[in-house]
Amino acid sequence: MTIGAPTLEVEVLVIGLFVLMVEAFFERIDKRTLAFTAILGLAAVLIASFFLAPAPADVAMTGFWSFYTADPLAIFFKRFALVTTILVLVMMIDYAPTVRESIHGTTYQSGLGEFFALPIFTCVGLMWMASAIDFVMIFVSLELVTMSFYVLVSFTRRNPATLEAGVKYLILSALSTGFLVYGITWIFGVTGETNLARVAAALANPVIETGPALFGMVLVLVALGFKIAAVPFQMWVPDVYQGAPTPVTAFLSVGSKAAGFVVLLRVLQPFFMLPQMERLLTTIALLTLIYGNLAALPQSNLKRLLGYSSIAHAGYLLIGVVSFSGEAVSFYLVAYLLMTLLSFAVLIVVAKQTGENIEDFNGLAKRSPFLAFAMLIAMISLAGVPFTAGFLGKFFIFDAALRHHQTALVIVGVITVACGFYYYLKVVRAMYWEDSASDIAVPLSGLSRLTMAAMIAGIIFLGVYPQPVLNALNPPRETIPATASTSH
Amino acid sequence: MPAFLFWIFALVMLGFGAAVVINRNPIASALSLVLCFMGLSALFMSLDAFFIGIIQVLVYAGAVMVLFLFIIMLLDLRAETRRKMKVVAVVGGSAVALAFFIQVYSVIGQLSAAKQPFPPLSSPKMDDVHSVGLLLFSNYNLPFQIIGVLVLVATIGVIVLSKRELR
Repeated sequence: MTIGAPTLEVEVLVIGLFVLMVEAFFERIDKRTLAFTAILGLAAVLIASFFLAPAPADVAMTGFWSFYTADPLAIFFKRFALVTTILVLVMMIDYAPTVRESIHGTTYQSGLGEFFALPIFTCVGLMWMASAIDFVMIFVSLELVTMSFYVLVSFTRRNPATLEAGVKYLILSALSTGFLVYGITWIFGVTGETNLARVAAALANPVIETGPALFGMVLVLVALGFKIAAVPFQMWVPDVYQGAPTPVTAFLSVGSKAAGFVVLLRVLQPFFMLPQMERLLTTIALLTLIYGNLAALPQSNLKRLLGYSSIAHAGYLLIGVVSFSGEAVSFYLVAYLLMTLLSFAVLIVVAKQTGENIEDFNGLAKRSPFLAFAMLIAMISLAGVPFTAGFLGKFFIFDAALRHHQTALVIVGVITVACGFYYYLKVVRAMYWEDSASDIAVPLSGLSRLTMAAMIAGIIFLGVYPQPVLNALNPPRETIPATASTSH
Repeated sequence: MPAFLFWIFALVMLGFGAAVVINRNPIASALSLVLCFMGLSALFMSLDAFFIGIIQVLVYAGAVMVLFLFIIMLLDLRAETRRKMKVVAVVGGSAVALAFFIQVYSVIGQLSAAKQPFPPLSSPKMDDVHSVGLLLFSNYNLPFQIIGVLVLVATIGVIVLSKRELR
């Protein structure tokens, strides 16, 4: 039995509506049931995504299929969005008490239903973004994702820091959307097309002037740079990451970023032939690497530290983009998903007891060895210690960069990795070498323990045997020149 | 449309656009925005885009701005207290704006299409509303549906964020 790829989004949408309706009409139930239902539903969709009917073979890019593609890259990132959403929902269950404190409604758990329903709609948006091959489609699905993030970021609005984060995100995101639309109009104005393949065809035509199209592309790049948190469009990241509810921060740093990179890979496609684009991207990648890693050094708040680290990782991912290596970028994003979500999951649980600062992790290894071990794995993977997914991710990226003779990027990349070791291992030192103020174990629910164990296993498994992820992107796509086939 | 009308409406737009930012009184800002939209609408009309021009007035100048004014009045906002301008911020902001302006200017200067007169439009087979609707529900059906989901999310968001807190 097979199903068509477009039904996946519809299924997720139905799950979201179902959760919303149950929330609206059954007041008395335990709202966490909604989250469990959503997790089960999304898991079912995830399984269903392995039984997809092959997409119609490039039948005339008309109607529906001129907006939507079901190529391996799209399917891969649909699964990516589903996994991210499932893990974020697990974190949200842990975070529910904090949300409850912040929202005083008529009933004990009011507000939680929406908190669990919104990520599902975000997930739909992310899945559509993964498939978008038309500027109109890219724009509307990007807006769907952004709109749901506006709400999620300021969800616990009684907290002033959250409110500040919400307003900052709203204003800067709206500004970046303005740039996106303006850029799209320039590209449309010059080429007369919004479909990416047809834009590429139009640009190959010598009659078309590339200058204005390039200008439009730069404006689009500004908007996408905002989404992926690349320097100089990173100003919002530290404050928003610190102020937003922690599961939302995790969702922002993984889901929003991954979708930004998929779109980036797709929209850069028609412009890859232009040398100016490559120089520009190289500059952005260099700045992002240096800024993200240096600014992370003095941080003492772990959420803020992870915010800066997310900027730094955007830099490594941009190296992959400059090297035109869709595979390296995809693998890095998977590794990034596992290690970032794992560290946020531990952070949520520990922050409930002590706090979000690094010193609140002091002596965690004695109190809760499992949590400390999970954090250890996440941190060494983020830093890039061998036999973790993070190491292989960086390895593939640098490998692809060397193939494209981007030596400067590799040198800066390696230096900044050393920088990263310092601030990630600071957390490890706090957990294993510092004395704790209390010795009460941090309570951990069974579901969270299971999820963390799965993520630890995933990080180590992919660090030793990356083949499953690399195979998922085969057969080689036509949309992205898959030059960097990895040596295994 | 004669060229001098374009200049008048463009100047109206720019002038009131600047007034939105410069005014310290929120009501004056909002009303300037209405006039800015009027200028924009006139420019759309001059491009024979009557439908968009009218929608611009109806939706933005009409509905959205009335909502804005209501909120401002209900919240009883006072004039914004005068902020201290930071020299660095002003210089930096102007530099970015200037660089952007020069960039746009030079791109338009290179564009050969910008030097040609506006080509006459072929006479339409059906009216504006009809053709927009036809495109929206046939060719652009998928993005249109996604906007439906977007509006749903926005509705949920508004309810969640504006729900009155009991206690």
